[in-house]
Amino acid sequence: MKEVLKIELLRFAVRYHLGQTSRRLSVSSLLEDGTVLVIKGPSGSGKSTLLRILARLQSCDSGQVFFRDAGWHTFSPPVWRRKVHYVAQKPAVFSGTVAENLKKPYSLKGQKTLFQPDAAQAGMERLLLSREMMEQEARTLSGGEAARMALLRSVLLNPAVLLLDEPTAALDDRSRRAVHAYLAEWLAGETERGIVIVSHDGDLSAFPQVKQLETGLDGEVER
Amino acid sequence: MSGGAVPISDFQLVLSVLLILITGAITAALGLGLLKPLLWGTVRTFVQLGLIGYVLTYIFTINNLFLIIAIITVMCVIASSTAAGRTPDAGRHSVLLGFVSLWVSTFLVGAIVVGLIIAPEPWYSARIAIPIFGMILGNSMNGIALSLDRLFSEVGAKIPEVEALLSFGATPWEAVRDCVRVALRAGMTPAINSLMVVGLVSLPGMMTGQILGGADPHLAVRYQIVVMLMITAAVAIGCLLLVMMSYKKMFTGEDAIDPSLFGGVQAKKQAGN
Repeated sequence: MKEVLKIELLRFAVRYHLGQTSRRLSVSSLLEDGTVLVIKGPSGSGKSTLLRILARLQSCDSGQVFFRDAGWHTFSPPVWRRKVHYVAQKPAVFSGTVAENLKKPYSLKGQKTLFQPDAAQAGMERLLLSREMMEQEARTLSGGEAARMALLRSVLLNPAVLLLDEPTAALDDRSRRAVHAYLAEWLAGETERGIVIVSHDGDLSAFPQVKQLETGLDGEVER
Repeated sequence: MSGGAVPISDFQLVLSVLLILITGAITAALGLGLLKPLLWGTVRTFVQLGLIGYVLTYIFTINNLFLIIAIITVMCVIASSTAAGRTPDAGRHSVLLGFVSLWVSTFLVGAIVVGLIIAPEPWYSARIAIPIFGMILGNSMNGIALSLDRLFSEVGAKIPEVEALLSFGATPWEAVRDCVRVALRAGMTPAINSLMVVGLVSLPGMMTGQILGGADPHLAVRYQIVVMLMITAAVAIGCLLLVMMSYKKMFTGEDAIDPSLFGGVQAKKQAGN
């Protein structure tokens, strides 16, 4: 099976927010086509930091990430972030309606594709968001609704790799299953796609192939 | 000129200290703890303005173009460090950026006013140039300080949105475009607002000064109109230059938000880890 993303000896520091101490991590892993890589580990073990580094929103000390055999520095940061796309745990909500929020990325110059209202509408339904919600002021959404809207917005952009930071943290069981099913379907929809996810969900059985990466003290991480 | 200014003698000047006694009495009676700064401020007012009187007399007599440019440049240095000092987050380079934007906007607008509109003989006449440039500087300093502060507080408050835009593939400019707009509005609004109320709510200092100095009110008004419009232009140019240069400094070479600038916010985000 072909690899979508290859993480090669990524070294970075994790700072605990309470103490002043920092710990150095070194991570290597592979994300194969059509699979999910779950990052596990206790709080403050660098899970979110790793995702942000993969999106090049934060720098690391050394190491490289390859997207289909091409090193990350062969891409400009905007191009990289379109392919290896990060969705933060706290959903970014812009002023305006849900529809306007979903269209927001298409106002950028480098965005080559057009907004597809039908796909957006279908996605809303799959994620258990009502049709009327499109015209609702996005800032009035609940935490769980905003999280699903942000996820949908990113999926519609059709990246190659989704970097998801606890996408189901604010959701009830029913919505969580809907999100998992939606993501599994997205993963199977085209070849050369993958998901790197930080999640505390015990049950990820919706996905055909799940590999774990521990940022704790053992597993694939060296101290 | 009709009549000229009514002179203030040394004795009359000393009488003005009476006013300080009133302020001092209020301060002392209510225990505001402002007595020391009040006295120190009064002394400084007498000394600083007394000295500047001599300096201005000297400058007006010499009337040398390069001396004028040098003085205004020094004023720009002081103004930019004051303006940048109000936004410690912005870092050290903001003093330099502030200086460049103030210098360019002041000289551009000042040259138009002195060389084209008022056009004294010679055009760089210090008696005209120094007060004009001084007024431009004082106002653009406030404008750029407001803009800079707003730019950093706005981006600081919207880091999740800015990073989401970066994740969508936005360039740094696209990611902070809305924040830049807010910052420019913040810097330019006071100058535009004062265009609305001038003469109704406030009689501007320069115009009042000219009238007290014995000038024809109509002439004073004409000067004031030129001054108001030049201030607005200088504020707009200064804010634009500073904000356009500053936003780039918020990003690393990797087009990511520089973590050293918004340390507190980043740390809070990490807490959700």
